[in-house]
Amino acid sequence: MKKNLLYFKILLLSLLTTLSFAQSVDVRGRVTGEGGTPIYGANVVVKGSRQGAVTDEKGDYRIQVPKGSILTVSFIGYVAKDVPIGNNSTLNVSLSPQSSVLDEVVVTALGIRKERKSLGYSTTEIKGEDLTQARSVNVANSLVGKVAGLNITGTATGPSGSSRITIRGNGSIGGNNQPLIVVDGIPINNDNLGSVGMWGGSDKGDGISSLNPDEIETMNVLKGATAAALYGSRASNGAILVTTKGGKVGRGIGVEVNSNFVAEDLLIKRFKDYQYDYGAGNNGQKPTTVLEATTTNSWGGKLDGTSVMQYDGVARPYVAQRDNLINFYKTGNTFTNSIAISGASEKVTYRLSMNNLDNHGIVPGNTLHRNNFALNTNATLGPKLTVVANVKYITEKNHNRPRLSDSPGNANYTLFTMPTSLPISTMQDNIFDSRGYEKVWSENIYVQNAYFATNQYKQDDQKNRVIAAIEPTYTVTPWLSLMARLGFDNYAYRNTEITPTGTAYQLNGGYNNNLRNFTESNYSLNATIKHSITNDIGFSLLMGGNLMKQVNKLDNYSGSGFNIPFFYDISNISPASRSVSYNYIEKRINSVYASADLSYKNFLYVNLGGRNDWFSTLAAGKNSIFYPSVGASFVLTEAFKLPAAISFAKLRGSWAQAGGDTDPYNLSLYYGLTGSHLGQPLAQINGSQVPNSNLQPLTSTTSELGLEARLFNNRMGIDFAVYNRKTTNDIVAASISGTSGFSSALFNVGQISNNGIELLLNYDIVKARDFSWNASFNFAYNKNQVISLYGDLQNLQVGDPARSQSSYVFQQIGQPFSLIKGFAYKRDATGNVIYDAQGYPLKSDLVSYGTGVSPITLGFNNSFRYKGIGLSFLIDGKFGGHIYSGTNALAYRYGLHAETLPGRETGIVGKGVNEKGEPNAVNVPAQQYYQYLYNFAEPFVYSSDFLKLRQVIIDYTIPARLLNKMPFKAASISIVGRNLAILMKHTPNIDPESTYNNTNAQGLEFAGAPPTRSMGINLNLKF
Amino acid sequence: MLTLTVAMGACTKDFQTINVNPNAPSSVPLPFLLGQVQLMIDGSSPDPGYKTWRGNLIYSGPMVQQLASTNSYYVGDKYVYSTENCGAYFADSYSNSVKNLVNLIALAKTDPANVNILSMARILKVFQMHIITDMYGDAPYSEAGLGYLNQTFAPKYDLQKDIYADMLKELDEAGKALSASATTPASADFSFGGDVTKWKKFANSLMLRLAMRMQKVDAASAQTWAKKAVDGGLMTSNDDTYTIKHSDGPTYSINSNSYNLSIFSSGGRNILNEDAVLWSKTLIDMMKARKDPRVNVIAAIAGGDKTPSKQKGLPNGYDNTTGTPYSLATVGDANLKNYSRPAPIMVNADDPNIFLTYAETRFLLAEAIERGWATGSAKDEYAKGQAAALSQLVLYDPTAAITNTADYVAANPYPGGSLDDKLAQIHNEMFILTATTLNFYEGWANWRRTGLPKLTPVNYPGNSSGGQIPRRLLYPPSEAAVNPNYAIANDRQGGDSFISRVWWDKQ
Repeated sequence: MKKNLLYFKILLLSLLTTLSFAQSVDVRGRVTGEGGTPIYGANVVVKGSRQGAVTDEKGDYRIQVPKGSILTVSFIGYVAKDVPIGNNSTLNVSLSPQSSVLDEVVVTALGIRKERKSLGYSTTEIKGEDLTQARSVNVANSLVGKVAGLNITGTATGPSGSSRITIRGNGSIGGNNQPLIVVDGIPINNDNLGSVGMWGGSDKGDGISSLNPDEIETMNVLKGATAAALYGSRASNGAILVTTKGGKVGRGIGVEVNSNFVAEDLLIKRFKDYQYDYGAGNNGQKPTTVLEATTTNSWGGKLDGTSVMQYDGVARPYVAQRDNLINFYKTGNTFTNSIAISGASEKVTYRLSMNNLDNHGIVPGNTLHRNNFALNTNATLGPKLTVVANVKYITEKNHNRPRLSDSPGNANYTLFTMPTSLPISTMQDNIFDSRGYEKVWSENIYVQNAYFATNQYKQDDQKNRVIAAIEPTYTVTPWLSLMARLGFDNYAYRNTEITPTGTAYQLNGGYNNNLRNFTESNYSLNATIKHSITNDIGFSLLMGGNLMKQVNKLDNYSGSGFNIPFFYDISNISPASRSVSYNYIEKRINSVYASADLSYKNFLYVNLGGRNDWFSTLAAGKNSIFYPSVGASFVLTEAFKLPAAISFAKLRGSWAQAGGDTDPYNLSLYYGLTGSHLGQPLAQINGSQVPNSNLQPLTSTTSELGLEARLFNNRMGIDFAVYNRKTTNDIVAASISGTSGFSSALFNVGQISNNGIELLLNYDIVKARDFSWNASFNFAYNKNQVISLYGDLQNLQVGDPARSQSSYVFQQIGQPFSLIKGFAYKRDATGNVIYDAQGYPLKSDLVSYGTGVSPITLGFNNSFRYKGIGLSFLIDGKFGGHIYSGTNALAYRYGLHAETLPGRETGIVGKGVNEKGEPNAVNVPAQQYYQYLYNFAEPFVYSSDFLKLRQVIIDYTIPARLLNKMPFKAASISIVGRNLAILMKHTPNIDPESTYNNTNAQGLEFAGAPPTRSMGINLNLKF
Repeated sequence: MLTLTVAMGACTKDFQTINVNPNAPSSVPLPFLLGQVQLMIDGSSPDPGYKTWRGNLIYSGPMVQQLASTNSYYVGDKYVYSTENCGAYFADSYSNSVKNLVNLIALAKTDPANVNILSMARILKVFQMHIITDMYGDAPYSEAGLGYLNQTFAPKYDLQKDIYADMLKELDEAGKALSASATTPASADFSFGGDVTKWKKFANSLMLRLAMRMQKVDAASAQTWAKKAVDGGLMTSNDDTYTIKHSDGPTYSINSNSYNLSIFSSGGRNILNEDAVLWSKTLIDMMKARKDPRVNVIAAIAGGDKTPSKQKGLPNGYDNTTGTPYSLATVGDANLKNYSRPAPIMVNADDPNIFLTYAETRFLLAEAIERGWATGSAKDEYAKGQAAALSQLVLYDPTAAITNTADYVAANPYPGGSLDDKLAQIHNEMFILTATTLNFYEGWANWRRTGLPKLTPVNYPGNSSGGQIPRRLLYPPSEAAVNPNYAIANDRQGGDSFISRVWWDKQ
């Protein structure tokens, strides 16, 4: 931390000395509205900064600005105006009222800019600054709580992991449910490069997590197929369009520096619902020998402070260790610095930015370094030809990503399950035995010493990514233009994992190296015709085609058993113990599309669209599908005379279809060549999924209706949407009985539906000269239901079961997506639990516990501004979901859970009846009884409802007059906090938002990286 | 627009070739598949040691008191249910060996020239399935492994009775179909190198094992099939013993003996220093009482010392705690290093997995003769079995050769007296035979049928069988989630429990 601050000072100092002072001028003037009436409270801001002034009662302002600036003058209900100051010292500005707020132009599918009021569907735009102040390492997580209908679930993976983004529910039972991510017109790959299942591992992040929030101008969330219809199959779940910052004409050279420092620590510092009464050991006995002390169990004696043996052979006081988490986890920090230079000449605008992010996680040794370079240029090459070219280069290095779920190499597992009486310091002092091997600390050799796990295991991954696009536009005639777009997204990824020499379960260690080279190329050609048919009827038509080619090259080499101990290279593993594989995976989609827009006067807008996709992944004759779409917008306030209180009102509606395909090579059976034995080459059926040559494209049909209104002089905003989304012929890899020889089969299965509403309310509660208070509230409810499946199938299991195999995720007819089912206690007709002859509860058939995906999401944001100081806080919540907690199940198994206290001394006679219906009278020792409950889901499924104080931002914009003596055009500083408190939850010991992967089997938690809260400071300077 | 559409349509012509996986073939020579399935049956590949460790070493061996362990992983020692381990043999077998056997049989059937590879696959499928059904009872059989071929995604659980009937029929048909004049996949046969005669003997010997298994529940069928097996021709010497051979490389995780893979786990763990897998006191005491020279071959204490006087078995049902009746300290020596464990020569990477021995056929034949189901001298067969059981250990290592078998035969003569007395001796021999070939699956199954030798169960607190030696293992719980037929099978068998009995295990 100290070191980082030092760097920062040096950075500042160097900037101060190298940049000359900009000259500033004093500008004053009056802002007026219709008929020359002064506007009180209008904002006058130096464009691209936070430096600004507010007009007084007379509409007058005065501001110190750098020469050559542009002033942006704005007031609610009026069209904002950009005015270059030129050489003027007096600058009067007259604003015209917004006939609609909604002269606003937004980015829509294929990057086409349209007037917001003309849209027949719902989109939400997030400004870059909303992503940069209270930032997350993965920018997707900054969207949480900000967009109605957007459901973002971070995984319990620490800062570098993936997130699960869904818009308007889950449309596919087993396929992709996440939106298409498009950066400056180029679809980017958002694959999760390593997901965690029941056997553990670490989450290797996704595509959106590599983006630099400082580069982002806007993010537009296209909510569903209606908005994203032009993207066809790729965006059947909607799209997120990221537009990065470019240079702006008439601005000269500008330099922007942003520094951000965030520290994070444990949100849950102690397990409140663990027991601290009994210590390490078994069967109620205090350990007396090293052998007995070598245990993961807390089924020992009563903690009485006596001197008791620990696994290292030293006796220490037998007392509760409540601070193991605090003592093990570090304070993490993230230091982000970015600098951007932008400029423009008559013909060319450009922006060059560099960003460096340096993160140390809370799990010791976990680091992430990311560098983002971006160059955006826009050149006018002739009267008819303009070219946009941009390139982004991203390097990302991760070291020792936190492991989660199952125990091997997972320090979190160790911390969550180590005995109550074992101090983490004993582990720290006894990592190795005399050979330098892991000193075995428990009888379960698959649970590592936490320090051995974090220091000796090595995991390093590196991703170098280039996203580039060239986009020439040729204006043939005033009404016809042609645009080509060539886009590339390429990354080379390398992940090396080393199981070290001396690991208790693998003494000679192991090595695994994965290489992945991904390229997606898109070549598209679009023609746009714009022509007004009459004065009242406008018309435009877009026609185009796209070729998409995606190639994945996967190399793996791995092996086990290092010949020279502690030397970790593949060459140090005997060829007999190495394995090598290579896979080339290619997929193509060809598409043609067209979209026609018709407008009547300025109140009726109609759009008709269509797209045809051809997929390489489906069989001939089954690989082509056409999707139509239609949308309309009707601006009531333009068409009719409405009461004055209604400043703006619009009705919109749309209907669209989209589809989807499957992965390559899923249509037929292949064999894997596995090696040789005694000279005989060997082969077996490849994979565990039943192929299906009859697969057809899935179809998803969405319709929506919406109302947008602004009331009371635009003080209040309402945006309401209701939608229906139905997926038919969904392609699903369903879990099937392993006795069929396969673990899953691909089908086109029935139907899944999503109905929902979205509401966004925005209200300027106070809007005075020096003080303003804005509140905004968003709410979404999604009702998801599986309507039908394959044949007479009632349900399908998806994904891995929980590690305990007591809980599963199903898609079941009549139930919502990701239904958690598990084993409950078997009960008789009157509800008594039935016990077997040994006194253990009997298992029921699988019982439904509800969906793992919360149907209700909401966010409530308040921002206050007093002069240059702003305060905002965001509370968000999710409701209606459930989670199975493997961590709590383990806490039962190992005797850590507070609920395992009853009966420790006496044994347990389970309350209920035996199989004959008589009261159960069999006494079972507490240890065996509670350990057995690990096999049930019932005690460990919880409601995942929560309310969180998601972010708090305090910002201060240094007034212009104070900047006179400084080299900046603008400066602001903010203090930010994220995930500060869980205001409400029902899950003992764990964060309800801690599922361990982002797959379609949602609702399972198991020994993830503990949740954190973060606090930081952000400094933004413009020169 | 139209031209564009036509152009795009035309561009899709090569889509079908693009969607062919360039890294995996669509068909392979049948011997490749035959080779792989044998390693799947014995558990060496593709998941090295996974099912053997769980099915054979964690459960079967300790439950039947051939092995013993204080380690909490070896739950079979104390009849404790473990989700992770109990259904593992079942799950692994269906998704590997059964799946590929079913596919191989379907492929081989299409051409009469493949008669030998087909027949071997049929016999191997019976071999695999009999271990599964003996462990778990009713099990998917007729519809198993047909996920791809028949789109059967939730196979029914066949009655064990029906499985047995079909397995016997398969052995009969396949054994007879084997033809010396047809092509034999010699290099892909890791048991008999393509020797069709030995395969016939193996089929008949396995038929005898299955026939005897039905002795309590259907004596008539047992007799019929035992006779058919004997008439067909059993194994005639140790050379006929059914093993799957292994080698030390080229790829450790494919070629090695599966017990080596289970115990040594990637070559890192030395059984001599690990104290988890120990010989049971029941076994070692019995062998010592019988002056069995095999003790000197199969047992060593920590560090490798094989001195006979130092060998002692670990009592079952104890743990490492102190102060409870279940503490190892209560029976004396709490130092695990002093207890005997399988000698390393049995589990080298290139040691074979021994699954059905010539010696076993002699013992079973002796019983069949005593029951009047076969003719001959039970006494002679018994003695032949004893001698073969000793001399066969050379399969593990030349140093394991026991040349003097006569002393042992003399010290443990075939008793006169009642059938029970004779069976007691025969099955004492079977007990030692299966233990000394690490064939705990068969040790446990044979004990369940015969109740011999008489074992005293342990009663560890909180065990899942109420203090009796489990009669079967539980299916993997995932079956409850994905196969509705699981519930039907459970209801039929009296619940998924350690104490419900399989069909042939009649009380």
